[in-house]
Amino acid sequence: MGMSLSRLTEKTNIWPWLLLAPLGIYMLIFFVVPLADVAIMSFTEPRVSLANYERVLTGALYQRVFVNTFLTAAFVTLCCLAVGYPLAYLMAHSKPRTAMLILLLVTMSFWTSFLVRTYSWMVLLGNNGPLIAFLQMIGIDQPPQLLFTRFSSTLAMVHILAPYMIMNVYSVMKKIDPVLIRSAESLGARGWSLFRHVYLPLTAPGIANGSVLVFVICLGFYVTPVLLGSPREQMIAGLIGHQIDEFLAFGMGSAMAMVLLVVTLIILTIYHRRFGLDKLWG
Amino acid sequence: MTGMKTFLMPSRRRFLKTAGAAVTASLAAPYIVRAQEKILYVNTWGGPWEAAAKANLIDPFTAETGIQVKTVSPVSFAKLAQQVKTGTYEFDVTTLGGGELVRANQAGIIEELEASYEGGLFENGVASHAFATILAWRTDKYKEAPKTWADFWNVEKFPGGRSLQRYASRVIPIALLADGVAVKDLYPLDVDRAFKSLDKIKPHVRVWWTAGAQSTQILRDGEIDMIGIWHGRYFEAEKAGAPVAMTWNQGEIERAYWVVAKDTPNLENAKKFVEFATSAKPLAGFSKAADYGALNPASNEFVSAEDAKRMPTSPENYPLTFEQDMANFGIDPAELAERFEEWVAS
Repeated sequence: MGMSLSRLTEKTNIWPWLLLAPLGIYMLIFFVVPLADVAIMSFTEPRVSLANYERVLTGALYQRVFVNTFLTAAFVTLCCLAVGYPLAYLMAHSKPRTAMLILLLVTMSFWTSFLVRTYSWMVLLGNNGPLIAFLQMIGIDQPPQLLFTRFSSTLAMVHILAPYMIMNVYSVMKKIDPVLIRSAESLGARGWSLFRHVYLPLTAPGIANGSVLVFVICLGFYVTPVLLGSPREQMIAGLIGHQIDEFLAFGMGSAMAMVLLVVTLIILTIYHRRFGLDKLWG
Repeated sequence: MTGMKTFLMPSRRRFLKTAGAAVTASLAAPYIVRAQEKILYVNTWGGPWEAAAKANLIDPFTAETGIQVKTVSPVSFAKLAQQVKTGTYEFDVTTLGGGELVRANQAGIIEELEASYEGGLFENGVASHAFATILAWRTDKYKEAPKTWADFWNVEKFPGGRSLQRYASRVIPIALLADGVAVKDLYPLDVDRAFKSLDKIKPHVRVWWTAGAQSTQILRDGEIDMIGIWHGRYFEAEKAGAPVAMTWNQGEIERAYWVVAKDTPNLENAKKFVEFATSAKPLAGFSKAADYGALNPASNEFVSAEDAKRMPTSPENYPLTFEQDMANFGIDPAELAERFEEWVAS
């Protein structure tokens, strides 16, 4: 009796692992091994030393670009939340037909190549573009320069990344049981208080999921800020690309990638301690 | 690059061979098959570049030799280095710029080649075609045409927004010419003097462009009034009907070289292709179609007088231009790029 029970548990324990095996092997070959290779190259290229890290951590250029990368990603995440949350709310609580229309608009923008969207912003915000023409029409003689500024690059990144936030928040909002809201109301919660104590906590997993996704994807951006911003908006991914593709400096590129990885993991760990990363999965 | 092996490599390769055959057989199939067939893989920039190469270089090559050719894009210098390191070849031949060629040859990642025409060989690359960074401007903005990079720097005589490429090794020689250095004294580069010169134009540079399409767009739409731009990209703006003009004077020529990946299993066919691609007639056709200038002097006789006007290497334009001298550059390009990036963002 005891024998067969233990054999049974053994059997049930092995199945999840077998199901995981294809993905596990795939991740091992195509993610873990190359990542380990990058980590090793950062210490061994061009010779075994800490020189790459010394240059990355103490060079003024690299320090500034790292700080800029994380600040930009954080700011873009906040903007995506500010834009995406109300839109997701509108989608989740309007008639199915209206919701479909908004969803269609969001996904259409999502499916358009981000390069096309980047160049579209150039046309819209340019000196001879419609926005400047409009400003001049309403009597602003010296319209501000919009293109090639931090404003234009942030605007475009928020536009590109907002769908990730909207989809995540929307899917959580859709699942909220209306009974919870009604019972909160029956207990006297109104307006801000209802939102603050009931609705917002219920949508928190969506906010967390969307924010982490937007933040992490944004860390890897470089084409958009370089094309639409001033040289000050350089992000670290662009520098890594330069090192490897132009100078074959695999060691320097790898060291920068490892610093980016480690700092990102530290931020996610702090986030996890504070909010719980497991909430990501609802 | 020979020192690039990490201790993970051998085991990874062995692992990939066994695991790859068993688990990802379908994924790896093209690469396994490709070692047996004798298909030549040519690395291209894709788009119009590839179309021009296919019509003028690849298809005629196959017709003449019977060697099948397939293309892989985009061009990646890093991939060329990785191929030699891993022993997995995605392409056998590719093109490199002068600076990259010097680095590739030092790193030992390209095969030794022979000159397929006189004077055509440099650092084991065969010179194929060239492009120029030229001075262009909006004709609706300036009545008088600027002639030199010194005019580009002269914002009192030619007020208006400027644009240059955000690419150190191309901008530094231009900054020295603008500061009055003669072409014959340009190399090795006086980097400190160049940055002092750049300081003067910096407030007027509205855009440091980074992509070819972007440079055409800002010139065509009048985002800027004067620009240092690749000649092919300039002609696109002209073709689109924008009020623009250019000069070949002080145009900065850079060469592109065909190279063969070190230790490729397709060595003989790869060498044959490089010889064919740099021979007079195919190269003339390719250069015309892709808006380059042919570097094999024998190509000139296959270029019409009308087409020659658009080429930086034509007998008429070439004397006005100057060439990048990567062999005598004066500073490590990577170090220069770091200093430039620091400067441009501060």
